[in-house]
Amino acid sequence: MANGAQHMVDSIFLAVSVLTIGSAIAALEIRSLIYGSIALMITLSGIAGFFLLLDAPFVAMFQLSVYVGSIAVLILFTVMLVRRELIFNKIEDSRRRYAGIGLMIIIMLGIGTIIIGSGLKTMETNTQTIDYRKIGEDFLTYYSPALIVMALILSSSVIGALALAKREDVTNEQRTD
Amino acid sequence: MIEFTSTPIILTILLGAVGVILPVISIIRKERGSSLYGGIAFGALIAAICFVAYQILSKHIMPAAIFSKNVLVDDTFGSFFAIAMLLVSIMTTVGSFNYMRGRSNTAVYYSLILLASIGMVLIAYSTDLVMLFVAWELMSIPTYVLAGFNKKDPSSNEAAIKYFLFGALSSGIIIYGISIAYGLTGSTNIGDVISGFSKLGPDMMPLALLAVGMFIAGFGFKIGLVPFHMWLPDTYEGSPPTIAGLLAAGTKKAGFAAALRVIIMGTIALNVDWAFALGIIAIVTMTVGNLAAIMQKNLTRMLAYSSIAHAGYILIGLSVAPFSQIGIQASLFHILNHAVMKAAAFIAAAGIITTLAVSHIDKLRGLGKRMPITSLGLVISLLALAGVPPLNGFWSKLMLFGAAINAGSVAPWAPYLAVAGVLNSALSLAYYGWIIRKMYFEEGESDKRVKEPKSIIAVMIFSIIFMVGIGVYPDPIIEFAKSAVPNLSALSTIH
Repeated sequence: MANGAQHMVDSIFLAVSVLTIGSAIAALEIRSLIYGSIALMITLSGIAGFFLLLDAPFVAMFQLSVYVGSIAVLILFTVMLVRRELIFNKIEDSRRRYAGIGLMIIIMLGIGTIIIGSGLKTMETNTQTIDYRKIGEDFLTYYSPALIVMALILSSSVIGALALAKREDVTNEQRTD
Repeated sequence: MIEFTSTPIILTILLGAVGVILPVISIIRKERGSSLYGGIAFGALIAAICFVAYQILSKHIMPAAIFSKNVLVDDTFGSFFAIAMLLVSIMTTVGSFNYMRGRSNTAVYYSLILLASIGMVLIAYSTDLVMLFVAWELMSIPTYVLAGFNKKDPSSNEAAIKYFLFGALSSGIIIYGISIAYGLTGSTNIGDVISGFSKLGPDMMPLALLAVGMFIAGFGFKIGLVPFHMWLPDTYEGSPPTIAGLLAAGTKKAGFAAALRVIIMGTIALNVDWAFALGIIAIVTMTVGNLAAIMQKNLTRMLAYSSIAHAGYILIGLSVAPFSQIGIQASLFHILNHAVMKAAAFIAAAGIITTLAVSHIDKLRGLGKRMPITSLGLVISLLALAGVPPLNGFWSKLMLFGAAINAGSVAPWAPYLAVAGVLNSALSLAYYGWIIRKMYFEEGESDKRVKEPKSIIAVMIFSIIFMVGIGVYPDPIIEFAKSAVPNLSALSTIH
């Protein structure tokens, strides 16, 4: 790859990284649920950007349509529909907070050193363009049991979420009526 | 592509269909707290375990394999874990009959147990990292909900949220490990990954080790290895006690199945000295678990710490696996034994909590007279956990420590694992003995016998027969465990 193009890719990568990680931190830290979910949307879009940089437009498209298009919008709808006042007390323990940040930096430095120190930089990539038909074929043959199990995961999540979200006090009131 | 008549697929279809249909039936019937759903779930689980037993006895399954060309393999290793996991699920289901009576969402409760069982069973059958991860999630997500099933109890909420956050973190770490492995080898099939790892150049080796380290950390969270155990006591204490049994006896063991499939094979193929590190983790885990258990005043919390300690014992077998023939066999034997012992202890605790509403150890005074059968079941399971002969726990601990001594000729540090194990077993007898003393040798406020729940009695009788029976005649299970050990010499051929 030409040197100029490499610099271009590097700067786009940096920009997308800052956007993704910054909005992820914002999603955690902002107290307002609506702004938090919008920040989450930006994070998820940033991840789609990484997939584009990695020459995987197919996955990027899925990331955008599934995560940004449906899941994040669903979260936004839920936030708008439920009671918006804060139901949790904020208990801050600054020592734990700093310990957590410190641990994160240590782990990131550790993993970073291993990755940068390894031969990953010298690795030559000459992958061909991905054949989407092959992905579809793999899903229906090799990975078919995983697909079945994925369906069961979704149904267990729905069943569990319904049971947890169901308000039992409401049914009790109806009973006494 | 795997055949649709193979054991894992049939189990998935059978348990999955019943698991999904149960909530639908409950919507149609609109009846609360019915024991019908428990009955249906019990029937499905019995059918599943009978099918696995039939497949083993009629030799329709492959000998224990390390690799396969598919995402699942229908082998003895998977079937061994399937039997252990389904036993735990059956004990949990039957033990819950009484606990769930009159509560809401019973159908969902049993349906989630069934779905989690599929996940636990499939982990052991997986020979592909994507399949393993998907099965891991199928095991985890229903148990997150089950841990928080007592919605109005703040400690149950706390249990669920802690379990969920650490579970999500561990899933993230595992998927990171999988992505590194895939990036290095271009495959998600465990066999291809390991053979790809063994062909890596020295500059890429640190990345392969990083991937294995990620797997150890990710699976270690669910297994409860120290230092990844912080969430475990709060979760086991706050969850419904029957579910704590499922977590301690079921999901933890599924974590070991995953560890055996990935880490052990990976470390042997990579020819690295992870074994010593695993040995140190084993000693720290059992010591921390036992020391913390001594200080507990709550029965379920004590059992939670004891299950951390037992993860340490099982890890002895895994860490000496490269040096001793019986290492993995001993671990498998102890996994099956511990599954039944721990499930029995937690279900006895559930019986005590539902009948007398106590879980503080001081309140157990005179329990031997008030609930004789539950007490007897609890005592035998505690003695078996401590490894007192002639109960089943004695034989598996003997094999584990024997394997460690046996490995001493190759790895000079290995016999110290046996020494640590014996000292820890003696230590554990202190707190198990303390509970037994309270129940049988101290006078309670009342001697009046209370009515023990029938479902708990059924589980207790089954587990007493199992623990004493295997203790007196352990040979068939030892042979079964032996047949479930994959042939490790096959790994050396890929170098």
